[in-house]
Amino acid sequence: MRAKNDFEPKIAEITAVKKECSDIYTFSCRLRNKKDKIEFQPGQFVEVAVFGVGEVPISISSSPLEKHNFDVTVKKAGSVTEALFKMKKGGLIGIRGPYGNWYPMDSFKGRNIVVVAGGVGIAPLSPVVEHIIAHRQEYGKVWLLYGTHCPENAIFNARMNRWSKNGIESIATVTKTCDMKWNGEVGHVEPMFEKHGIKADVAICCGPPRMLKDIYVEFNKMGIKDGDIYFSLERMMQCGIGKCGHCNIGRKYVCMDGPVFRKDELNELTEKIWK
Amino acid sequence: MAATHDMNEKPAFYTIKKADFGKFFESLTRKYKVFAPVEAGDEHNFRQVKTVSEMKLGNYVNVEFPPKKFLHPNGLLMMEFAGSRVRQRAKTGKIALFGVRPCDTHALDVLDRVMTDGYVDAYYKKARGSTLILALNCKSAGDECFCGSMGTDKAIGFDLLFTETGNGFHVEVGSEKGHSLVNNKLFRKTGSPAAKAKLVFRKQINTENLEEVMRSSFSSEFWDETAKRCLSCASCTSVCPTCYCFDVHHDAEPSEKGIEKVNISRTWNYCMLQPFTRVAGGEVTRESRTERVKQFFYHKLLYGKENQGKLHCVGCGRCIRECMTKIDITEEAAKARSEYESKK
Ligand SMILES: Cc1cc2nc3c(=O)[nH]c(=O)nc-3n(C[C@H](O)[C@H](O)[C@H](O)COP(=O)(O)OP(=O)(O)OC[C@H]3O[C@@H](n4cnc5c(N)ncnc54)[C@H](O)[C@@H]3O)c2cc1C
Ligand code: SF4
Ligand code: SF4
Ligand code: FES
Repeated sequence: MRAKNDFEPKIAEITAVKKECSDIYTFSCRLRNKKDKIEFQPGQFVEVAVFGVGEVPISISSSPLEKHNFDVTVKKAGSVTEALFKMKKGGLIGIRGPYGNWYPMDSFKGRNIVVVAGGVGIAPLSPVVEHIIAHRQEYGKVWLLYGTHCPENAIFNARMNRWSKNGIESIATVTKTCDMKWNGEVGHVEPMFEKHGIKADVAICCGPPRMLKDIYVEFNKMGIKDGDIYFSLERMMQCGIGKCGHCNIGRKYVCMDGPVFRKDELNELTEKIWK
Repeated sequence: MAATHDMNEKPAFYTIKKADFGKFFESLTRKYKVFAPVEAGDEHNFRQVKTVSEMKLGNYVNVEFPPKKFLHPNGLLMMEFAGSRVRQRAKTGKIALFGVRPCDTHALDVLDRVMTDGYVDAYYKKARGSTLILALNCKSAGDECFCGSMGTDKAIGFDLLFTETGNGFHVEVGSEKGHSLVNNKLFRKTGSPAAKAKLVFRKQINTENLEEVMRSSFSSEFWDETAKRCLSCASCTSVCPTCYCFDVHHDAEPSEKGIEKVNISRTWNYCMLQPFTRVAGGEVTRESRTERVKQFFYHKLLYGKENQGKLHCVGCGRCIRECMTKIDITEEAAKARSEYESKK
């Protein structure tokens, strides 16, 4: 889906809006021009334009097997996402992409994988899990560890149940039960490694910076090497295609060289991802 | 983009007399909007001129604002969204820039690399393709110039390169377009290259193993001292000929028929400013001034070389001249080197 002018969005129609929780919605989209396909790899993102307000990078949260329709799962965070939340089925948005690199799923074959998601970080990791399920025999043991604040913010319940039935040990934990009914775990994600006997060779993680830092300690304890730890990172973006200069970490551009980075690559950079 | 001329094929050198230069200029203005240095106050800047007499070189060292504004304009209207369609709106006319200094031809080379590396910036590419670069060699170096040490004192990527002689100009052809410009009676072939003025520089950066030097001093404390003097005014980044960072804006504007029209444009933004890395929720990646100062100097003296194979500092000296607190990239590079030497 490469236009002559890479800044020119394609028009997409919102085909469904699903309220995942009060501040996270999933928008199902279809490109207006039926000839346009959106083929993406797990971990990639698109630039979503709400015309008149602005453009934001959002990961694709649907299965990579689907080529004509795709979902984005969005947390209300500021001007553009707020405007997006006001849009309804049939509304038109702009889409550019997919952009960025992806998780090298082939290199994980035969290995035991732990996928750790924090908050809306579950969105880009959902295609990772879908890919594994579609090729289940090729991978070793797989855990999905998903942490949020309250049961209210724990999204993708149906997906998690389906994943559990398809050979993914899916564990959800909340930091507080917030006086709500909750069947999952309570507490931070870090103690869950021991509690659930997680013993992985490869770690994949997307979540807030604080969580990445804490979880890295656990990966180390488990003996996972920096070359087998993958983080999906977030930076201010204004173009998604390596031109606006906003998203760099040292010499690397999160939009082009990322958003997926191996920890050993990050170690080589002048700027560090956490202080 | 201006291709480098193959010297084996056609003679690359010409001369033009002072009187004929005016005629050449006039013929140029019939096809192009011509911009040339005009002295105003203490500074020279590119202004549109119709005749050669409007150009005011005086003691021309370089233009205050570099050529980037013609190729990557601040506030460029890119597209418009209306009635469920997106239309391209950027307008590019044929322009000629006369008096581009050698360092700035290298700055254009840096921008070419950035804007066409990976994804191609269609707006930049189009503007670049319709811009004639008529470079002009320097007669003397300015107080802050240091192109001599950066390897950027020899012009590249020009259509024509002019060198002032006593009675006119020596002209070197650098592209096919350049050839067509000199293919007339005003220009006379000559076999020899121009006698270049010997420039005396007051500043320099030692570029030998600069990558290693810069990498090794990223955590050095002197950056904090530099940052204490920095005002985060971003003057340096706004005048730097290789700074290109931008924001994209959507502006809705109701039209007569009631169909909302959205203008999509871009404006320059600067890493020296704190909001540059502010994300939703208020977190700022480069919160401290030290981090921002380092981003600027490291982009110029390291990352550019690592990513585009060419330093993003071309030694024009503008950031030094513009800085109110006299932060000087050549001094910062020297501090990095002495840190490096002391660690050896
Ligand atoms: C690679 C990548 C993937 C992402 N995937 C998702 C996702 O799947 N779901 C989700 O809810 N969020 C995702 N985000 C974060 C999302 O882009 C921001 O929440 C969003 O840009 C906020 O925009 P806003 O206009 O609502 O907020 P404002 O604060 O009003 O932002 C103004 C502008 O700043 C930029 N900006 C602000 N915050 C960010 C940010 N965190 N990252 C990049 N640009 C920013 C945007 O261009 C935005 O238009 C992702 C970010 C990146 C970099
Ligand atoms: S011009 Fe000087 S004071 Fe202003 S941001 Fe640049 S270095 Fe800092
Ligand atoms: S960093 Fe300063 S001296 Fe170097 S090119 Fe930019 S403005 Fe010129
Ligand atoms: S988002 Fe513009 S350079 Fe990465």
